[in-house]
Amino acid sequence: MTSLNRVGIPLAAVVSAVALAACGAPSTANSSAKQADLTTPKEKSGTLTMVTKFADPKYAPYFVDVTKAYEAANPGVKIQLEQVGDQPYKDKIRVLSASKKLPDIYFSWAGDFANKFVRANLAADLSSVVGPDTEWGKTFSPAALKAFEREGKYYGVPIDLDAKYMAYDKQAFAKAGINSPPDSLETLLADCGKLKSAGYTPIALGNQYGWPAIHYMTQLNAYAVKPDTMAKDYNPATGAFTDPGYVKALEQFQSVVKECASPSANGLSHEAAQANFINGKAAMHYLESLEFLALTTKGGAPKELADSWDFFRLPAAGGSPGDTNALTGAPDGFMVNAQSPNAALAVDFLKFMTKAQNAQKLTADIGWLSPVQGSATAENSFPQLQSALADMSKASQFAIWLDTVTNADVANAYLSGVEGLINGSTTPQDVIKGVQDAAEKAKKQVG
Amino acid sequence: MHVVNRWRSWAWVLPALTLLLVFVYYPIVENLRLSLYSWSAFSAQPTFVGLDNYRTAAGDPVFWRALRNNTVFAVTSLVFQVGFSLVLAAVLEEFVHQRLRGILRTIYFIPAVISITVAGILFSFLYNPQIGLLNRLLDAVGLQSWQHSWLGEPSTAMWSIIAMSQWQSIGYTAILFVVAIQRVPREFYEAARIDGAGKIRSFFSITVPMVREMTTLVTILTISGAFLVFNEVMVMTAGGPSNSSQVLGTWLYRNAFLNDDMGYASAIATVIFVITLLIGAVQIYVSRRRRIEW
Amino acid sequence: MVMTAPTKAGTVPAVTSRSRTVRPRWIRSLMSVLVWAGLGLLVIAVLYPLLWMVFSSFKDNREVFDSPWGMPGRLRWENFGKAGNAGVVRYFTNSVIVTSLSILTTVLISAWAAFGLVRQKIVGGGIVLGLLLGGLMLAPTVALIPLFGLLQNLRIFDTYWALIVLYTAFRIPFTTFLIRAYMIDISPEVDEAAKLDGCTPAQTFWRIILPMSRPILVSAALLQALFAWNEFVFALVFVSNGDLKTLPVGLMDMQSRLLTDWPVQFAGLTMAALPMIVLFLIGQRQFLQGLTDGIGK
Repeated sequence: MTSLNRVGIPLAAVVSAVALAACGAPSTANSSAKQADLTTPKEKSGTLTMVTKFADPKYAPYFVDVTKAYEAANPGVKIQLEQVGDQPYKDKIRVLSASKKLPDIYFSWAGDFANKFVRANLAADLSSVVGPDTEWGKTFSPAALKAFEREGKYYGVPIDLDAKYMAYDKQAFAKAGINSPPDSLETLLADCGKLKSAGYTPIALGNQYGWPAIHYMTQLNAYAVKPDTMAKDYNPATGAFTDPGYVKALEQFQSVVKECASPSANGLSHEAAQANFINGKAAMHYLESLEFLALTTKGGAPKELADSWDFFRLPAAGGSPGDTNALTGAPDGFMVNAQSPNAALAVDFLKFMTKAQNAQKLTADIGWLSPVQGSATAENSFPQLQSALADMSKASQFAIWLDTVTNADVANAYLSGVEGLINGSTTPQDVIKGVQDAAEKAKKQVG
Repeated sequence: MHVVNRWRSWAWVLPALTLLLVFVYYPIVENLRLSLYSWSAFSAQPTFVGLDNYRTAAGDPVFWRALRNNTVFAVTSLVFQVGFSLVLAAVLEEFVHQRLRGILRTIYFIPAVISITVAGILFSFLYNPQIGLLNRLLDAVGLQSWQHSWLGEPSTAMWSIIAMSQWQSIGYTAILFVVAIQRVPREFYEAARIDGAGKIRSFFSITVPMVREMTTLVTILTISGAFLVFNEVMVMTAGGPSNSSQVLGTWLYRNAFLNDDMGYASAIATVIFVITLLIGAVQIYVSRRRRIEW
Repeated sequence: MVMTAPTKAGTVPAVTSRSRTVRPRWIRSLMSVLVWAGLGLLVIAVLYPLLWMVFSSFKDNREVFDSPWGMPGRLRWENFGKAGNAGVVRYFTNSVIVTSLSILTTVLISAWAAFGLVRQKIVGGGIVLGLLLGGLMLAPTVALIPLFGLLQNLRIFDTYWALIVLYTAFRIPFTTFLIRAYMIDISPEVDEAAKLDGCTPAQTFWRIILPMSRPILVSAALLQALFAWNEFVFALVFVSNGDLKTLPVGLMDMQSRLLTDWPVQFAGLTMAALPMIVLFLIGQRQFLQGLTDGIGK
């Protein structure tokens, strides 16, 4: 009896452990494509969960205000808003998805980042409420809606319009003897030399998290590779990255870093580099139009800079085969959890957030351009913002950020590869090889 | 009655065993199984891929870089947290008299008390090329050429993290050695002095052999700690720049939660498991040999 | 693991041949100077970063940038307020809650198991020991991904309980062995006496054995505290809600929110580190004693 027990009990323990393990495949997203009912509820009550990436004290208050306003207007509704930083959001949203705790409303960048939620049936199909033919959809600029469209359906509600521009200090340019912003990459590199002689750091680049350099690559890729080829490569199912233009773009970035920025850019955060520009130590800074507010007195910049800065698009090198009128940028948006029982309420809240009054508040309070047409006026936006809006409408297409438009593996191969380019530990050929390998892997995962 | 008593005694160990089986054993077994699939938080179906994830690991330069980083971490930690610490403990016991000894011990131990995250963030400020103390210090003594973006360059990032880890742990292991040294009977040192041995010689001939058990323990703690390191790296560089400071733990995390590849992450976890298993087995074997009673 | 003296009777490890190590005076002085310089340098290396952290908490951004060595211009206590608002107080509290609860559960459950193994004749006791031993070798990081699904199914994901349960489960092997090694040394006559007095095993445990084991329980509690306070991976992955985050994860979060607001970050770090340092300084004798007793075994 005793010896049997001695063996039997632990054996039973192990067997049950294995049995527990064997039953149940790894937890993944639901495979059922449920079509959420999105008609506006008559009785608005319930709790909505929402996660954004706007923890930055400059932007957070707007979202807090809007949620509070909605709660005040609809006393039966409670919104649990959680805001995290830009970088932590990237892993947090995956943890939430993997643990099936995706909130009702969540932030998403455009591109494959959004598409993977769609593929996993985690993004509600919003075509019936925000499609371009709907009443709500018509209030948005078409380009903004298109960013969240996939296979004819619309999954995201755009919340801002954003594009990447090179801001420059007019006084610094004057001191260095530069009369007008450079119109080609070669001129830009030459200008950097002049600025160095005048005692400035030509471009303030802080690449601590890797995405600032990727934004440069987004633009350079768009210039160096034909649009069709690029679209094919950015699609995870067909990505190859064999076009020589990609290597050329990397080489161009290398020369920009060499002539205009510093090899220690990886140790500096984007915000620290921005501070260098704002304090007049650097002459140029590549930033998003969303960040323009920081360069004004309202955003805390000193008067000398606030009164004398302007911007230009990162110029293309002469003879570029790609679309030289493409502009790096994309709207950000919110998506609705397809598995959520509160989908209809979520849609109603998003409608509230993007109605004209709140869209104007967005521009007035935090200096963002809203995708809602006609929301930016002379009263609520400063001059540079208005010119940005005008410039954006002239662009032939938006080049969506390279780290969100491609699948995560490819994005990460680019991110770490380009970091290596900056500090000289890799060559463009190495980087593109890493990207090609990642693209191969991605094909297998999606296919 | 007899039978009931037999089983009642199980009540004592049942809570511990249940927790162990459910939260420790089951996940380890499950992890082995998961490493045979390719899946992520967003995949509709997990696909069985057999040993593919392990093949990917074998061919993945970042995986090998991570393994190398862990090993370098272990070796460096051995030098400082075992070697240097022992010397420090001996110095404290031999050179320094009673009152000052206590004060110094306390001071050296303080870094071990603050959270690893606090130390990590503090050091990332220290290493900051703009506001950090290190570059300023080098500037002040005229060594500008030695200035670096410590956490921003692949050649210095890992070493900077390792340095911070030593800063935090040297005091801790030194205290352990102090305790061990204090248990060495004084007569041995007396006899050695009579024999004419100097301090250094008696260190090597008496102290080192006599604290063998503690040395073994600290060595094992240090090595397993080096292969399990996660906190410091995550807080200071998250594995960058360009994956130069990845360790197995952070590479696992990155693949699971940023690269959307949980199967591969599970494979990396299995590698960690095998390594720590080996270390643990060595520990058991070694302590079994020394133990008089088990 | 008890430190034993060499068992060979009476022999002292042979030192050398009988040559006297005579060092000239100047070499001895030099050694002395070097040693003291080394010790002093170490003190500076340990203390200065911490002092820098504290001083910088009182500065403002410009001062941090321009005069890192210097003292702050004035004492800006509001930085601490801002840090507190950014969540440091909440994170600290969460850590305290999780750590103290896990100390309670770990020490109790391990003590039960140790008592059972040492005093009660358990059927298959060898297997239990084997399982505990195996548990010593299993690292938390390995269990990360499977625990996901498990914690969800148990509905404790993103709660304090997720961490408390995990911190307990993974420390049970070590703590049980620790307490067991101590309990083995307690003479069985104590139990006999209790039984004669009419105590059940449970009563013996609570009223006699447990109080007698106090030193090792303190050690176990301290070691558990050190582990739980610093634990990072589980806290990072299994607690998502900003209100529930523990200190290590929360500080990192705060860093990514307060990007260039250096002084407030320094203030946050100071607020996180100071209580532990103060606690240590006050109770250092007990602390070091308890720690080394535990490890020494």
